[in-house]
Amino acid sequence: MRIRITVSFCAMLVLSLSWVRAQGPGGSQMPGPTGQSLKGAVIKGKAPVNREILRVRLPRPQEARLKNGLEVILLEDHRLPVFTMQMVIRSGGLADPPDHRGLAQFTAALLREGTKRRTSREIAEQLDTLGITFSATSGLSSLTSTVSISGLIENLEEALDLFADIIRHPTFPPEEVERYKTRTLAQLQLQRSLPQFLAQERFNRVLYGEHPAGWTVPPVESVRRLTSDALARFHATHYRPNNAFLAVVGDMTLRDLLPKIERFFGDWEPAEIPRVEIPSVAVQSSRKIHLIHRPQSPQTVIQLGVLGITRTDPDYFAVLLANHILGGGPTGRLFLNLREDKGYTYGAYSSFTSSKFRGVWGASAAVRTEVTEGAMREFLYELQRLRDERVSDEELENAKRALVGSFALSLERPQELLQNIITQKIYNLPADYWDTYPQKVFAITARDVQRVAQKYLDLTQLQIVAVGDAPRIREVLTKFGPIEVLDAEGRPLSALQ
Amino acid sequence: MPIRKSFRLILVILGLAATVAAQGPKPIKVEFTDVRLENGLRVILVEDHGAPVVSLCVTYNVGSRNERPGRTGFAHLFEHMMFQGSENVGKGEHFLLIFNNGGTMNGTTNEERTNYFQTVPANQLDLVLFLEADRMRSLDVSQQNLDNQRQVVQEERRLGLDNQPYGRSREKLQELLYDNFAYKHSVIGSMEDLNAATLDDVREFFRIYYAPNNAVLTLVGAFRTQEALAKIRKYFGGIPRQPDPPPVDVTEPEQTAERRATVEDPLARLPRVDIAFKTVPGNTPDFYALQVLANVLHGGQSSRLYQKLVREKELVTSISGFMDEKRAPGGFYITATLRPGARIEEVEAVIAEEIERVRREPIADWELMKAKNTARRAFISSIASSLSRAILLGQYAVYYGDPNVINTRLERIMAVTKEDVQRVAERYLRPTNRTVVITIPKAALLPTSGQEEGGR
Repeated sequence: MRIRITVSFCAMLVLSLSWVRAQGPGGSQMPGPTGQSLKGAVIKGKAPVNREILRVRLPRPQEARLKNGLEVILLEDHRLPVFTMQMVIRSGGLADPPDHRGLAQFTAALLREGTKRRTSREIAEQLDTLGITFSATSGLSSLTSTVSISGLIENLEEALDLFADIIRHPTFPPEEVERYKTRTLAQLQLQRSLPQFLAQERFNRVLYGEHPAGWTVPPVESVRRLTSDALARFHATHYRPNNAFLAVVGDMTLRDLLPKIERFFGDWEPAEIPRVEIPSVAVQSSRKIHLIHRPQSPQTVIQLGVLGITRTDPDYFAVLLANHILGGGPTGRLFLNLREDKGYTYGAYSSFTSSKFRGVWGASAAVRTEVTEGAMREFLYELQRLRDERVSDEELENAKRALVGSFALSLERPQELLQNIITQKIYNLPADYWDTYPQKVFAITARDVQRVAQKYLDLTQLQIVAVGDAPRIREVLTKFGPIEVLDAEGRPLSALQ
Repeated sequence: MPIRKSFRLILVILGLAATVAAQGPKPIKVEFTDVRLENGLRVILVEDHGAPVVSLCVTYNVGSRNERPGRTGFAHLFEHMMFQGSENVGKGEHFLLIFNNGGTMNGTTNEERTNYFQTVPANQLDLVLFLEADRMRSLDVSQQNLDNQRQVVQEERRLGLDNQPYGRSREKLQELLYDNFAYKHSVIGSMEDLNAATLDDVREFFRIYYAPNNAVLTLVGAFRTQEALAKIRKYFGGIPRQPDPPPVDVTEPEQTAERRATVEDPLARLPRVDIAFKTVPGNTPDFYALQVLANVLHGGQSSRLYQKLVREKELVTSISGFMDEKRAPGGFYITATLRPGARIEEVEAVIAEEIERVRREPIADWELMKAKNTARRAFISSIASSLSRAILLGQYAVYYGDPNVINTRLERIMAVTKEDVQRVAERYLRPTNRTVVITIPKAALLPTSGQEEGGR
């Protein structure tokens, strides 16, 4: 066997548990969060809470590498007779030629439409007959393309045979490419009827401009230009063992797995991979409202935000805590205010993204048309408050407990653990990154939270997208900044300006 | 306290060593303890130390089937009220306590039941039991909270239905498919009925349906069964039982002619065809054969309808479907969204042709194997987390009085034959049992000229 095992840990999902006292000002009494932050909730403080945070040690994966450069990562999990495998290709939409946005995405999507040994229909029948779920995806601004399968462990051999064939020998038959094109063009049209899609599309566009992250779906011209040759070229250039790693979780050992991987991927030829330049992100613009007219909408979908941080930014953990407090779930200020106090919406949340380029930090909600103005005021109030006021010790403590405490739950979700490991590899995070995660969370102070809020949530640069019935909301929205009205296709609607 | 019924299954897979593939698929069973408290609360426990978490689910035997005309949407609106405070827990405090300690939680309502569930680190067992018991014992709601949550639910309806393309289509299909009021309306209800709900309705609904004898508590995770049971008795034992709620009539007359309606949708861009056939209640032999049939017709890219309509004839952008599970006759659903330029009549004709084919000829061996492998895979996924086991056990206990259905349903799918599939296709997928809703995009109201395809 031409296999070199580089690292080997005992990686059964055997859990090492410890019960540690929460750090910070907690004490043994539940200190019930207080203050304005909790309008919308009432705290009686009588429920029996265990103040100790259940800290867990996350399982370490085992790693190996084939001679051709393919890295293999395994997280053993023997609780159920199933497996999941992800082939992560270290080229995604960021590797698209500038005149062919979406090529990485198209390549992934068309892998399953025919190989040297199997037709599209045979692939579909064989995958389904084995009860295998298959997916292949890449985003327009992603660092990677990912091909995944999962299934029953007793079908592992057949699954690997199919998996390797699809990844290594796709033929991109011209007739299948044509089918894909017409199907995709129809789907693009369908998406344009969804208000959340329209909001997201415009939001990315106004924050990123011509950067690949400015595109939510491929441009129509890119789809029309698609050829079998272009797909084959992208595949031959990037789908190489030395540009990939295989991440596996399931009911198997590395000793069982490696000979199989060697058999199906051992003679996969490496090649030189062109270097992908990560484009820099444009400078933020000044505040503007982008209103998309969607006639007869009974709600306004509001999405607003600014450019944020990269995944490896030293501010990562401060932003993580700040975002959690602002709107990272049903305990966030936005949810408690806009839903529980005001009844404007079914849910209001904030979130942030991060990559090797700057992500966005923003918030969103769908509110009934009549309360568009009120909802806008509360969004701006909560963003401003995060800048102006220090968060309370209790609120910060609760956010830390929430983030660290949820690690116990992740042990039930091996695929989530695997995703953590993939993130660590893609961003070259230190080997003990997840082990020291709780310490990094606990190290954040109220001062840090306020500092990142002031640094990033600059309201003079806020980009606000609203999707709704323009004649009914245009007037109120002009109170929040200069406005541009567009149709669903992104064309200016001068009649409604 | 008397234990009415308690048994332990012997086979348990969780924690078993790996076997080699040559020995065939591993048997998988969920071992549980089943107890009834004196006040009628059924308690089902699964001790599993595979991860340091516990999942608690309380399933109440009440859903939109229990609603009466003029009060649709009430069961779900009430679900929201259960987070608005009780004697010892403030408005919204429940979710603050769960999330702030690393847990997750939610509640859901469907036609058949309403459930409340949370997964927390294992050392918060007392917390979750206290929270669920306090609201079962002493829900305390105000007019202000009712008005607030009524607005939230109305936004939920707008978000999911009124502001989405095809939102009204599924509701229309439901109204047309059923004769019995219990199932003839949507779970979310109408805006008018939501507006009509009063605080007295809330109090009365709570008294009738949220009694321990109308609930099943399921607890799955890292605890010792006897200790957990003692805690459950401590927190829930003193909640008084109530008279049994009135029974629901779920009878449905046999359908004798096709039903059909058209919905004009200003938010949609492409026409859509929704088809439903009225079938059988869940956990019946025909129900399992119909699940296999659904897999043959629209399960995955190898399915007959995908191959024919999406690939071969290129008439639709997507085709999907499902077979639902109710205590009343369920629906066998098919949904096709057309491609630009495709004709509705042609799409309907091709679907009808494929249905005629499964009624006329037996399915292929590989199709039967596909359905069974898919079912086995789906079953394993469905019991992978402590939460999904807690939810399923509660559901089967409420639907069928038998939580062990979690362990028998896969065997029943495995027993389905090609003859069974053809028989149920013949019996239920007949044209006179068909209900069809066609969605037509209403002429574009955009002030600019025509719509271009896709892109930006």
